[in-house]
Amino acid sequence: MRLNKPTEQYPWKIRPDGKAKVSGELHYLTDMTRENMLYGKVLRSGVAHAKLVDVKTGEAEKLPGVKAILTHKDVPGLNGFGIAEPNQPVFCDRLIRYEGDAIAVVAAETLEIAEEALALIHVDYNELPILDSPEKALEPDAPSLHKEGNILHERDYKRGNVEGAFNRCAHTVEETYETPRQMHVYMETEGGLFIPEKNGRLTVYAPTQHGYKDRMQLARILNMPVDHIRVVSSPIGGSFGGKDELNVQPYGALLALRCGKPIKMHYSRMESVIAGLKRHPMKITMKTGIDHEGKLLAHRVSIMSDTGAYATLGGPVLNFAVEHSVGGYVIPNVEISGKAVYTNNGVSGEFRGFGGNQVTFALEGQLDRLAEKIALDPWELRRRNLRELHDPGPLGQQIAANDGPLHVWKSIKESPLYQSEKETLSDNLPWMRRGKGMALAMHGSGLGYGIPDPAGGKIRLNDEGKIEVAFGHEEFGQGLLSTLELMLLDHFNCDTDDLHIMIGDTDNVPESGSSTASRTTNMVWRALQNMKKPFLTELFSKVHELTGEDRSQLMTGKKGVWKRERDKSHRFLMSYKKLAGACADPIVCTTEFHYPVTPDPVLGGHFLYSSTAVIVEVEVNMLTGRVRVTRADHAVAAGEVVNPLGYLGQIEGGSIMALGFTMTEDAIMCNSQYMTRNLDTYLVPTIFDVPDIQNVDAIEELPEGDTFGPRGVGEVGSVALAPAIVSAVKQATGKWITKLPISPEEVLDGGEGFFSHCFKDSSAREGKETG
Amino acid sequence: MTKQPQFTVTDKPEALNVTFHLNGNETTLYVAPSRRLVDVLRTDLAMTGTKISCEIGRCGACIVLVDGVPHNSCLLMIYQCEGKSVETIESLQHEKPNRVQQAFLEEGALQCGYCTPGMVMALKGMLNNKENPTYNEMKEALAGNLCRCTGYGGILRVLRKLSSDDID
Repeated sequence: MRLNKPTEQYPWKIRPDGKAKVSGELHYLTDMTRENMLYGKVLRSGVAHAKLVDVKTGEAEKLPGVKAILTHKDVPGLNGFGIAEPNQPVFCDRLIRYEGDAIAVVAAETLEIAEEALALIHVDYNELPILDSPEKALEPDAPSLHKEGNILHERDYKRGNVEGAFNRCAHTVEETYETPRQMHVYMETEGGLFIPEKNGRLTVYAPTQHGYKDRMQLARILNMPVDHIRVVSSPIGGSFGGKDELNVQPYGALLALRCGKPIKMHYSRMESVIAGLKRHPMKITMKTGIDHEGKLLAHRVSIMSDTGAYATLGGPVLNFAVEHSVGGYVIPNVEISGKAVYTNNGVSGEFRGFGGNQVTFALEGQLDRLAEKIALDPWELRRRNLRELHDPGPLGQQIAANDGPLHVWKSIKESPLYQSEKETLSDNLPWMRRGKGMALAMHGSGLGYGIPDPAGGKIRLNDEGKIEVAFGHEEFGQGLLSTLELMLLDHFNCDTDDLHIMIGDTDNVPESGSSTASRTTNMVWRALQNMKKPFLTELFSKVHELTGEDRSQLMTGKKGVWKRERDKSHRFLMSYKKLAGACADPIVCTTEFHYPVTPDPVLGGHFLYSSTAVIVEVEVNMLTGRVRVTRADHAVAAGEVVNPLGYLGQIEGGSIMALGFTMTEDAIMCNSQYMTRNLDTYLVPTIFDVPDIQNVDAIEELPEGDTFGPRGVGEVGSVALAPAIVSAVKQATGKWITKLPISPEEVLDGGEGFFSHCFKDSSAREGKETG
Repeated sequence: MTKQPQFTVTDKPEALNVTFHLNGNETTLYVAPSRRLVDVLRTDLAMTGTKISCEIGRCGACIVLVDGVPHNSCLLMIYQCEGKSVETIESLQHEKPNRVQQAFLEEGALQCGYCTPGMVMALKGMLNNKENPTYNEMKEALAGNLCRCTGYGGILRVLRKLSSDDID
């Protein structure tokens, strides 16, 4: 299915939350206010590593308008949070581990007063040596950042005999790749509104990708039963993984309970940069070998990830990187070792692609280099090594039959860009060079083996006569509401007016797991499959009871239940509203199930995968070293396209996020302090940095017998673009890039630059003169 | 029409009366003159259609029209609006979306939607001054608006739909 030609017909559908968004009528949770609310503001340490001696708040407390100042002494429960490991303190008590560490929080009548109060809080600390890289943190005499030392997580994997296999290889390539500290740059920064209710409960309006998990973590911090907390968590102005972890919530919640008044918090962009999560910078060394026919024989990988000051999902991200460093290829001998290391740098965590982007850049780079060595078309080299339908997964685990990599490989081969003539020079501008490059990836969805990954949902006919579904998933822009609406219309053949969709509110929705890991579309699809039949059975029984009509002739439709007639002139029997009114007991169905997992005990190993391949064309200015992507075409194999507009948007959006990762984005740290503190120095792509058209070919075909449904495509669009660009740059310039983002200096340095001979001459001359 | 203070947002001594047209209504605020327009709109007047994101004029989420021309409201102090006409996304909250808004809806030019009001206002500002802009002129009008969700794919489809030249 080519997605770029809008049909303007079903199911190319305007999203239900669209109108409120284009008119600014939608209230995001950071737009909310209440009368008499106070403003909360966090004091950050500002230093990367120090022993905290004392925090003096007296002077700040005296400032008129200040209502409360809290420190670690004011946390009634656990002074810590973290999805996997709660080792990030709500407030530092003894040790400061990074510049974004929270020391105190202020509630004041205005934001300006709160900011003024922060300046009056005195923090005494003794600075400690800064560990600003994993290498430094691993030195034997490095101070320990956590009680377990400076290694958060290690993951090793081995099969076959790698050393022996390398001896049999015709060609090997060894290279080290480095990837940047990418920032999510959700346009809506973290924030929310926290309301202490009269009945002693607390309502939290703050974006997250997992409302129930936030509630559990808040209950732990506040020492409060979970059902005393209500978390409302959608709509969200972007997340990309960045809001899955707690951010403002502990502070807003503590202040609301202390002050007995609503608290509003909304981070400035600068605070968001300092305190927010980033994509793990990784240094990946790979040695890969092939035989004379180009068959991969051996692959050795070492991954070092800078997880920053606290754990959050650093462990699972490393597991994912380890698994995906084998990709969709068949390699008999593999040895992988990964380390996630604590440093005093900003906290790294979950980010779209979850560690797959980093290792795919390295793995695909290896294949391109090997193809060059054997003088084989790099796409053909991939073909010779791609997994087939029943091959095991990357870590040898059983996975659902999957030939997605083959499908996307073929799709790229047929794309017009692949077919077009190789053209390395641009018209009339001799310093402009062109190149094409391709890359491929297989991306796991779901949380993987060993991590609880439950899902569920609820459907009922509500009192207003609407078919109401409730899921604990979140809408952060990806189009969940649209996807759900389309699925429901398909199942019940009703009007959109007959539907009521509830998400993102722990008081009203069941636990469905996190909206993450490209799992949501898949999980709501399955939930609806599970619930449809029992729901309709109950519904039709009631109609039968009321009208005497034969159950087998009943169907749901627009406005109500209809009777199926042979000549298709279906007869309206009863409105949903009337039916709801006639039910003494409401018609409700629920479902609970687990995300499909591999039966093999392989930590983090996935069972369901989607695949993607990308082809790009770049233009490189050999005078400036600037690279421009002029075209990018994608093939994605992820099962049925439920919501074409959403699917296309996810691939286009993921692709451009990866374009930033490849070309410009790096949250630079120097001595563990962010140098790029706002969007003037941290550069995300603008409308002028993207190709005018990106074609997307969605391969909907799943292997026979695959009943797992459509896979989510939230991440897969972002994982394979970087190596495709780097490959195209190599074709254009002769220069291999190993470090992202691509720097213009590196493009020119040592490559076949337009004036490189001139530079060489002049440097030789200078050499003579100075020598 | 007599100018009466409609809102008192601060009683600090440095406050003064600022009068401007806000979405067509003459509005007088008693306010600190250096207060940012974005804060006056979002905090003092509870008009949250205008979004706040980078606060340094780089992302365009807070774009409003001042005398018909797009401005980042994070970079304007309220005294600079004295006597001017300020137009926010709230002026486009009609039953029927205008053609820019409609094109955004049809082409999937928004996902989280947080950048959308700024984009719609930037395009409105450019269309105020030019009746039939070309694709490239419209693209230039959005050069100061960042979108993190769509990768601009849907937005470029909007421009193709609205532009006077056929760029395919």
